[in-house]
Amino acid sequence: MLKLQNVSKQFDRKVVLDDINVEIKAGEIVSLLGPSGSGKTTLLNIILGLTQLDHGKIIFNDMDMSHVSMKNRGFNIVFQDYALFPHLSAYENIVYGLRNKKGLVSEKELQEYIEFLELKPHLTKKIGELSGGQKQRVALARTLVMKPKILLLDEPLSALDGVIKESIKQRIQSIAREYKLTMIIVTHDPEEALTLSDKILIINQGNISQFGTPQEIINQPKNDFVEEFILKQLQIKRQNIYNLFGEQHA
Amino acid sequence: MPKAKTEMRIIFLSILIVFAVFLLFPLGTLFVRSFETNQGLGISNYLSILSHKDLIEAFGNSIKVSSITAVITTILAFALAYAVNCTRIYRPIKTVIKTGILIPMLLPTITYGFAIMYSFGNQGLLTKIFGQSLFDIYGLNGLLIGYVIYTLPAAFLLINNSFKYIDKKFIIVSKLMGDGSLRSFMNTIVRPLWATLGGAFVLSFILSFTDFGIPASVGGTYAVVATQLYQVMLGSIPDFNQGAVIAILMLLPAVFGVLLLNYLEKLNFHYDKFSAIELMQHKGRDISFGIISSAIIVAMLSVFAIMFIAPFLASYPYDITFTFKHVMDIFQSSDLVNVYKNSVIVAALTAVLGTLVAYGSAILNARTPLRGKSTIDSISMITNTVPGMVLGLSYLLLFNGSSLKGTFIIIILCNIVHFFTTPYLMAKNSLSKMNPSWETTGELLGDSWLKTIYRVILPNSASTVIEMISYYFINSMVTVSGIIFLVTAQTSLVATEIKQLQHFAKFNEIFVLSLLIFFTNLLIKILCDYFQKRQSINHS
Repeated sequence: MLKLQNVSKQFDRKVVLDDINVEIKAGEIVSLLGPSGSGKTTLLNIILGLTQLDHGKIIFNDMDMSHVSMKNRGFNIVFQDYALFPHLSAYENIVYGLRNKKGLVSEKELQEYIEFLELKPHLTKKIGELSGGQKQRVALARTLVMKPKILLLDEPLSALDGVIKESIKQRIQSIAREYKLTMIIVTHDPEEALTLSDKILIINQGNISQFGTPQEIINQPKNDFVEEFILKQLQIKRQNIYNLFGEQHA
Repeated sequence: MPKAKTEMRIIFLSILIVFAVFLLFPLGTLFVRSFETNQGLGISNYLSILSHKDLIEAFGNSIKVSSITAVITTILAFALAYAVNCTRIYRPIKTVIKTGILIPMLLPTITYGFAIMYSFGNQGLLTKIFGQSLFDIYGLNGLLIGYVIYTLPAAFLLINNSFKYIDKKFIIVSKLMGDGSLRSFMNTIVRPLWATLGGAFVLSFILSFTDFGIPASVGGTYAVVATQLYQVMLGSIPDFNQGAVIAILMLLPAVFGVLLLNYLEKLNFHYDKFSAIELMQHKGRDISFGIISSAIIVAMLSVFAIMFIAPFLASYPYDITFTFKHVMDIFQSSDLVNVYKNSVIVAALTAVLGTLVAYGSAILNARTPLRGKSTIDSISMITNTVPGMVLGLSYLLLFNGSSLKGTFIIIILCNIVHFFTTPYLMAKNSLSKMNPSWETTGELLGDSWLKTIYRVILPNSASTVIEMISYYFINSMVTVSGIIFLVTAQTSLVATEIKQLQHFAKFNEIFVLSLLIFFTNLLIKILCDYFQKRQSINHS
């Protein structure tokens, strides 16, 4: 279980995060949802250990992680642009970290990860030869073999187009189930957040607007922001889709 | 970006110390020495220089010849760049222009002078071809030819690069709007390039003003600042304080020029993203620029032709039977072979160590959050400004009593500092374009910072590193001005040995040594280009 207690952060006197308190259970998929500049990426970087927090605590399984370095925290991230190493093949990228931690993953386990992410046919390819979805899966594999305690994803779907988006969504959900992995996902897209995650943390101007399941957010929006900016968008989308297919498909 | 780490701080500190000891202290010493007199500090050195008629005349000459050079070079470089970028002349001609223009960069400037003598002198190759002496080459004319050849490659590269950022669709728009040829040319080519053309002028001016090799060989009695400085320092009665004053006075135009260059840089046009477009058909334009650009290249290269011919003739121009004798003589003279070895060793060490310093500096500035990292940019501004002769002289003043005097180490350090700016900017440019999350990713995958540099950053910038090595190597092979005050009989290099051979009128040796430099540099250039190409194929 991950607990954020009174987490606050300022950049040059500008408050980016103001007294954030959240509890995330093991194996949950949680989305951090908010407009750009809301502080969601800062929160992700604080959890990762890349950004120092000003006040508050990060507690993971009853251990205070607030001052543990990024490297020793044992969390891991897949960046929005994947940050794959272009001079290495897909396979070399996947096993990159295993050179530093020998024996972390057996050969059999490694093959299981590769098969699970359906990367077998692409292992010898250079990064430049992979499609967006394939890159995403290589980045996921490279991170998963490090056996992270929490997996952070920064806008995992934003660089992908239509059909691939839906299949990567399913993939993310199946990873969480298969490896019982806690995942924290940053996104600015309400549809993505509500269809992908168990819980959504809506952030606005450094504060928590609402934290709850998709149903709670749809049925009991806590304030104007959630209603105006989150629900309204979904309703417009719903309307557009209805118009396309006709009401009877609702 | 990764957090600041101890190893980053250690590297940063080491780099700062290197530049403090080998850039700031020497320049500081130079400055102080220029005010030093028998009666303590004062401006009497400056006053005595200003009352010195020869020196004032040399300054006037330098300014005059450098200005004329700058005008000619800018016009020629523009014509070449225009031919390459804005005409539909036959592609191979463009390749020849782009490659041929770089050839002078592989040779020391002092060689240009001897090539000019053997081409335009009374018995010169071109004089024979034309049947008469075209003009007197010793003095202004010879200097002009030499300086123009010397500055043309740099000016061309500058203008050619800017042409790439010009949106050629505007030429079509301008035509469609009914502009005449002149108006269209002014609005779509000259105006967007105005700052660059100014930059090419200033660059050519500074390069000519501070070069030593050309006036040393073909200057004759036409005194310029560089030769005056040399005479004051290494003449019969060396005067270090006066030398310091002349060096400061040589530095001033360079400082002014670099400030001007930076200002012009800001005026540069930058079009938004644009795509390539086909150029309009225009036979007249293509034919005239095809002829003009070919003529420029041929004229430039014809000056060097003699260098490839004379050493293989028994006694040019009197006995023109083919012989390998002169070449064999050089290889049998252990002195000259040693000098060549020295040069290669110095160039190789400069290339390796210089690339290390420049690459390290660039990584710290482009990819770490260190405080005060922008000092490195200021350092690179200073190294860009200080002429080689001034830097070398300041080393002579500061390290004269130390054990560094007369070593290869001091020559290598001088080269590293002198040529720092370009490789540093190459590295910084390429490193800042790379994915900023790689270090974080590497760390999360268990790497230390240095390990990620070695496993990820370095392989992905291999092509730039090769380019840096090539730049450092070639420049330290050809530099004369930077090291003329630092070499001794034991640490003599090819480029400076040529200066000595001049006194004994051993022109065959001069040309053979020049050819050695040329082919060594050519080999390095071809090798580096080959490895660079292989890198880029691997990565695509």
